[in-house]
Amino acid sequence: MMPTQLVENGSSTNILSIANMPVLWACALGVFAVIILQSVIYIRAARKAAPAAGITGAELKTSFRSGAVAAIGPSLAVVLVAIALLALFGTPAVLVRIGLIGSAAYETGAANIAATTMGATLGDATYTQQVFAVAFFAMSIGGAMWMLTTLIATPLLKRGEHKLAKVNPLIMTVVPAAALLAAFISIGIGEIPKSAAHLITLLTAGVVMALCLFLAKRLNRVWLREWGLGFAIVAALFVAYAAHTAGLGPVA
Amino acid sequence: MTTLSPAQATADLAEFDRTTSRWGRLTMIAGLIISVGGPLYLVLFGNLGITSTQLWTAVAAVLGTFFVIWLVEPITYFPILGPAAMYQAFMIGNISNKLLPSVLVAQTSIGARPGTERGNFAAIMAICGAAAVHLLSLLVFVGILGTWLISVVPAGVTDVARIYVLPAVMGAVIVQAIISMKQLRPTLIAFAVVLLVQFVLLPLVPGLAMVSTAISVIGTIIIAWFARKEAQPAA
Repeated sequence: MMPTQLVENGSSTNILSIANMPVLWACALGVFAVIILQSVIYIRAARKAAPAAGITGAELKTSFRSGAVAAIGPSLAVVLVAIALLALFGTPAVLVRIGLIGSAAYETGAANIAATTMGATLGDATYTQQVFAVAFFAMSIGGAMWMLTTLIATPLLKRGEHKLAKVNPLIMTVVPAAALLAAFISIGIGEIPKSAAHLITLLTAGVVMALCLFLAKRLNRVWLREWGLGFAIVAALFVAYAAHTAGLGPVA
Repeated sequence: MTTLSPAQATADLAEFDRTTSRWGRLTMIAGLIISVGGPLYLVLFGNLGITSTQLWTAVAAVLGTFFVIWLVEPITYFPILGPAAMYQAFMIGNISNKLLPSVLVAQTSIGARPGTERGNFAAIMAICGAAAVHLLSLLVFVGILGTWLISVVPAGVTDVARIYVLPAVMGAVIVQAIISMKQLRPTLIAFAVVLLVQFVLLPLVPGLAMVSTAISVIGTIIIAWFARKEAQPAA
């Protein structure tokens, strides 16, 4: 198939026209299909070996059902976040990157870092089809790294679980905490110079998230913690809309 | 339930291990290839005029920022998930906020302890259940409803969403990371390093803008490591 309609050489900002290409939809649904196939294989294998593991068929069913029910709330929370990102990445990319393999935080972070290397900003006039394609590629390589580590580390861990567990536990707590905090704080602070509306959006999301986490703990409501990210993003976007309309957005 | 001889039970479990290892790995490799295939097609055949330098610079900047997380996360979740569920979890995603709660609920409801065979089997079934719900809700609410929504919402609204969704996500994620990590020192060090890089280093060397986050990450790791609390339990 020759994509003859894409003659603008990547400088168009009509992201959704290429983000919704049939090939990308096919790949997104392909990942869905792979996960379904994997689940079917696993369930059949588990049924067969159940007596050896000391678990009954009824208990397998109960486990499946309670796993499914417990996932309803978190899944809908992910849906809310994903919808907020549709305008930026288009449906197929959001389904695979935000909904499945990755998460909103890592994927938008990776996309932002990729766009920056091209001198562009996500969402504004510099966010061309070219920038989208590079950002999408970089996000996907990022997700692939997680899977690659899993593929390499799982057999190793299975064999020498105890050896790796003896690595200085501080390495496993201090180093990832430092990496994670620095990455997100850096990307967040990088938004501040863009405009007053960006700063207001960042702060609103932070405050709403803090409120959700505080109330979740205070009132002992776990669902508030799950929905915190979604609520914070939606509330911040409402405030952003008001601030943008009031002329606090970036000077075009 | 028929009683099995110990030898038969061992053979059955070995067979289960072989099946899930082989197919878990194969399906994950397939997922990896398909998920990279989409954007790769766009880059190669999209006629977008992307140079390989642009591509690899972007990938290198992302690698430089997140490499530690990629290495550490699979090792962290292994003891809870068990080997078979690893291949499920890292393809389905949203592990800590969705899969782990599902696993814990399932293990509790049948009284299975994590790390035992019963616990591992409960985990696998719970993740399958969670995956079923998750795929369905993504397909219906994001794939169908979301795509429709984006086509009817006025352009002014989607423009705002596009411009401001990054600060909205980051504002929330920073607060979440700070509160859930509960590590005051690395938090303060991260803020200090980031501010230094953004407002002192970058104005001096503007060319570093594209790797500023990677610099902050590596700088914070090094400083946080040497400034760690020695009073914590010795290794």
